Amino acid sequence: MSSTAAPGAEGGLRTRQGGAPHRSAGAAVRPRPRRSRRGAGTLLGIVLVAPLILLMLLVIGFPLVNTVLLSFQDQGVVGTPSSFVGLRTYQAILGDSALWESLRRSGVWLVGNLVVQTVLAMATALLLTRVGRWSKAARTWVLLPWVIPTVAVAVIWQWLTNSNYGLLAKGLGVLGLDGVQFFADPDWAMPTLILMNSWHWFPLGTVIIFGALQTIPGEVYEAAKVDGVNAWQMFWHITLPLLQPVLFALGLVGTLWSFNIIDSIYLVTRGGPSGASTTAPVMIYDTAFKAFRASEAAAMSVAAIVLLGILAWLYIRFAKPEEV
Amino acid sequence: MTVRRIRRRAPLSAALVALTLGATACGGGTGGVADQGGGGDTLTLWHMEQPPNRVEAWQALIDRYNETDPEFPVEQQVQDWNQIYTKIAGAVQSNTQPDILFTIPDFTTYVRPLGKVRPVTDVVEELDGEHRYIEAATAPYTDEDEVWAVPMYGMVQMLWYREDLLAEAGITEAPETWEDLLAAAEAATGDGRSGIALPAGKNLATDQVIYSFMLTNGAGDFFTEDGQPDFDRPEVVETFEFYDRLMEFSPPDSANYSWGEPQAAFNSGAAAMAIEKGQYLMPFEEESGRPAEDLGCAPIPQPADGGQPGSIYYSNAAMVLSEDDARAEAAEDFLAWLLQPENYGEFLNAEPGLFLPLTEDGVEAESWTSHEVITTYRDCVDQMLEQSRSGALFGFVGGQYVDEIGNISGQNVLAQVIQQIAVEGRDPAEAVAAGQQMMLDAVQG
Repeated sequence: MSSTAAPGAEGGLRTRQGGAPHRSAGAAVRPRPRRSRRGAGTLLGIVLVAPLILLMLLVIGFPLVNTVLLSFQDQGVVGTPSSFVGLRTYQAILGDSALWESLRRSGVWLVGNLVVQTVLAMATALLLTRVGRWSKAARTWVLLPWVIPTVAVAVIWQWLTNSNYGLLAKGLGVLGLDGVQFFADPDWAMPTLILMNSWHWFPLGTVIIFGALQTIPGEVYEAAKVDGVNAWQMFWHITLPLLQPVLFALGLVGTLWSFNIIDSIYLVTRGGPSGASTTAPVMIYDTAFKAFRASEAAAMSVAAIVLLGILAWLYIRFAKPEEV
Repeated sequence: MTVRRIRRRAPLSAALVALTLGATACGGGTGGVADQGGGGDTLTLWHMEQPPNRVEAWQALIDRYNETDPEFPVEQQVQDWNQIYTKIAGAVQSNTQPDILFTIPDFTTYVRPLGKVRPVTDVVEELDGEHRYIEAATAPYTDEDEVWAVPMYGMVQMLWYREDLLAEAGITEAPETWEDLLAAAEAATGDGRSGIALPAGKNLATDQVIYSFMLTNGAGDFFTEDGQPDFDRPEVVETFEFYDRLMEFSPPDSANYSWGEPQAAFNSGAAAMAIEKGQYLMPFEEESGRPAEDLGCAPIPQPADGGQPGSIYYSNAAMVLSEDDARAEAAEDFLAWLLQPENYGEFLNAEPGLFLPLTEDGVEAESWTSHEVITTYRDCVDQMLEQSRSGALFGFVGGQYVDEIGNISGQNVLAQVIQQIAVEGRDPAEAVAAGQQMMLDAVQG
C-alpha cells in the first residue's frame, strides 16, 4: 500500500515516523498547510464539543443563573410574581441559626458517608480480588444494593427497623438491646441514615476500587512477598499508595454527591425526628416547597454552592495525591 | 492545552460539574413537568390517589364516560402529593396545567394564587340543587363570593379498635372520653403489644390526629377573625399534654410514624387501637386474619369535662384550570356526570369507606351502598357519616378561609410541636408557644 500511496500520504507517513527533527524541518518548508490542518482540527473539535456545551449551558447553566437571580428577589410560592430585594434575603438566611445548624448536620452526613462508604467499598473490593468461587459470584450480587431504587431501600430499612416487626429491631431485642429507636430517636436517626445510604451506594465505590486494583501489576506483590513483606505492609505500602488517585477522585465526587442527597433522608424521616436529620438540602427543599419561600431557598442554594466550591478547592489543594 | 494541564484541571472540573448539578437540583428552578397537562383533544385529570385499586376503579369509570362519546374524552394522570406543589407551579408557568386538578382545602389556597383556577360557583349551585350538598362540602372552597372547586367526596377520622384485643384486656365498651382512652390504652399495653398506635412523625398524618383531639377540646379554631394564628391557648396545651400521655402506650418508634405504620400495627395485632379515616375497613379481614366483627369503631373520644364531638373532616374537590371556556365547560360536565347517583357510588367505592358521599342522594345511592365493604361495615360507615357532622378542618372552621393555611399545614407545625414534646421532652406550654411563633412566621412569610 505504501508503494502506491499518494505523495501527500507519504508526506504524512514521513512526518509521523520522523520524530521531532523531521517535524521541525517539515514546518520550516511548508508552514501554512500545517497551521491550516491544526486550525481545521481545532474547528472540528469545537464543532464536536459545541452541542455538549450548549446542552450543559441549557440544563445546568440556565437553572443555575435562574437560582442566583431568584435569590435576589422575594418570591414566595414558586412561579408567582416577585420583586427585586437585593441582598436582603441573604441577610435573613445567613443570620438564621437553623441554616448553620443544617449545614453542620450536612457536614456530619458528608463525613459519615465518606468514611463508611470508603471503608465498606475498600474492604469489599479487597475481598473480591481473592481467588475463589464465592468471590467470583459475589462480584455480581455485591451490586444488588446499588441497583435497588432509593425508595425501595427506604422501605426496606423502615421495615427492618420497625419496632413491631423489624428484623433488626427484633434481633437487637433478643440481645437485650430493644431500646434502640433507629429513625425515631434524634441520636440514632442520623447514624442510621448514614448507614442506610452507605449500604445503598458502597457498591459503586467497590466497582471503581476493584477496577483500580486489577491494574496493579501482580509482580509488585510477588516481589514484596519475596522480600518478606506481610499482608498489612503490602496493603499500606503498595495497595493504598497506588490506589490514591482513584480514592482521591472517588472522595471528591462522592463527597459532593453525598452532600446533595435528599431522597434517602426525606423518604424515611423527612428531616426528623425533631429536626435531627434536617441537612441543608432538606432544609432548602422544605423552605421552597413546604414553607413556600422560593427566594430564601434559592439563596440557601447559592450559599451551599459557594461553600461546596470552597470545600472542593480545599480538598483538591490539600488531598490531591502526588502524580505517579 | 497540554495533557498535563488537562490532568491538573480535571479534578476541579469534575468537582464543579458535580456540585453544580447538585446545586441546581436544589435550586429555585421550577423543575420539569414529566406528565404534561392540558391541551389536545382530551381533558387531563390530575389526582393524587396513588393506590392501584383507586386508579383502576377510576379508570373504569373514565372509560365508561368516554364511551358516551363526549367532545373531550378524559384522561387521568396520577400525581404524588409530595411533588404536586412543584409540578403544578411548573405546569401553570408553562401553560400545561391539567383541566381538572383534585384538591383539598389548604392545597386550593396554594394553587389559586397561581392564577389559573376558575370559579365553579354556577355548576356547584346547579349540583347542589340537583343532589343537595351537605354544608361542610362547599364551605372550605368558598371565598370572595365564589366557589373554587367542585366537592367530590369527604373523609373523616374515627377511633378504630380491635374488639378481640380490648376484650382480652378486660375492656368491653369503646372509649368515649380521654380518660377512657388512656385507661384502655394502658390496659391493652403489654406482651409486646401497644395499646394504641399514634403517628408522631413530621407529617400530615400526625397533624390530623392531633387536630381531631384539638377539636374535641374546643381548640379547633386557632385563628383570630383577621386570620392571625391564635395557637398559644390553654386548651391547645392541654391537648398536647394528653397526646403526649397517650404516646406512652404507642410503639416506641412512633416519632417516625405516618399513615401506614399505625394501620400495619393495628392489623397485625401489635396495637389495639388507632385513629384514622375509613381506609381501615377494606383490608382489615385479609390483613388481620380476623373476622369483620373484631373491627370496632367509635367517635373520637373527648374530654369528660367540657369536651365536644369533633374530628378532622374535609371534602376533597376538583378544581377546573382549563385554558379556554369550551374545555372548562367539558370539565364541569364530566364532574357533574360523576356526581350522578348511578355513577357516584362507583366513584366513591374506589376506596370504600374512605371516600364518603357529600350529597344527600349520594348517601342513598344504591351504587354506593351495595358495595360489600359498605354492607359489611354499615354500622361504622353510618358512624362516620354521623361524625362528619361535627367535623372541621384547621383554617376553615365555621366559615373561615385562612389564605395562608397552606404555609402552616405544609410545615406540619402541629407535628413539630408534638415532636418537641415527645422526642425532646420539652414542656408542652413552651412547645405550643414555639408553635405559635412558627405559625406567625409562616403566615407573615
